[in-house]
Amino acid sequence: MAELDDIIHQPLRLRIMAALNALPSGTGLDFPRLKKLTGATDGNLGAHIETLSKAGYVAVEKAFVGKKPQTTVTATAVGRGAFARHVAMLQEIIAARPSE
Amino acid sequence: MIDSQQASEALADIDDIARRVRQSRIYNLASLLMILWGALVFAANVAAFALPRYAGYIWIAVNVVGIVGSFVVSAFTHSRTGVRTFDLRTLMAFLLFFAFGLVTCVLAHFGPRELSVFWAIYFMLFYTIAGLWVGFAFVVIGVGISALTLIGYFLAGNWFEPWMAVVNGGGLILGGLWMRRV
Repeated sequence: MAELDDIIHQPLRLRIMAALNALPSGTGLDFPRLKKLTGATDGNLGAHIETLSKAGYVAVEKAFVGKKPQTTVTATAVGRGAFARHVAMLQEIIAARPSE
Repeated sequence: MIDSQQASEALADIDDIARRVRQSRIYNLASLLMILWGALVFAANVAAFALPRYAGYIWIAVNVVGIVGSFVVSAFTHSRTGVRTFDLRTLMAFLLFFAFGLVTCVLAHFGPRELSVFWAIYFMLFYTIAGLWVGFAFVVIGVGISALTLIGYFLAGNWFEPWMAVVNGGGLILGGLWMRRV
């Protein structure tokens, strides 16, 4: 049996990937919205996005909208694939060992 | 390795987040449309109050501008997010909804005041029913504006149009702004 993806398995990173994966390919979420959707704090969210980014699962784009800096996070094709495999693994675990 | 209980919880978490993302995208577009229609309805009620003889033309113009504006807002959202939300099917649904309302008005022989109340409540009914599927904010806005519209119908007297400008137009604008924060 394949292993769960350790990078995605962490609860907050799982929520980040689930949120980004729910969007059409190439579409991202800005930092405040991602924070609201996942219920994370600024520091916590930043750290976990960094981990996902280093793994190549998300792309982080920083730009200025007017005078305000805006950070947009988008799931990469590699990240979407990893997330799909992770979800398939979770379903496999449930199918293999149904809870009583 | 995790057990099936933990796997189920993780999948439930994923489903919950995906549902919230979908709701957030719907709220984002709906709030823009609400602010647009709120501004138009506010302006139309004020104009109809000032120029009652031209009320019919004013409302026709507002509806045309509103439909065109809705397409523009949708195109703007599409260019920013890549998501198309106001397509041909949406337009058909809007036209069918509008046609049904028009037939009802013809058959019921409403007066000007009843017409205003009918269209406001009719659209809010749509919001309220849609809210049962897509989000609680729609239900609050729909029921709230309907209730205030009825209060105005019975109690606002000669100030009915200004009341409707504030309650219906202003209500949609405030509802749209609130929706962006929910």
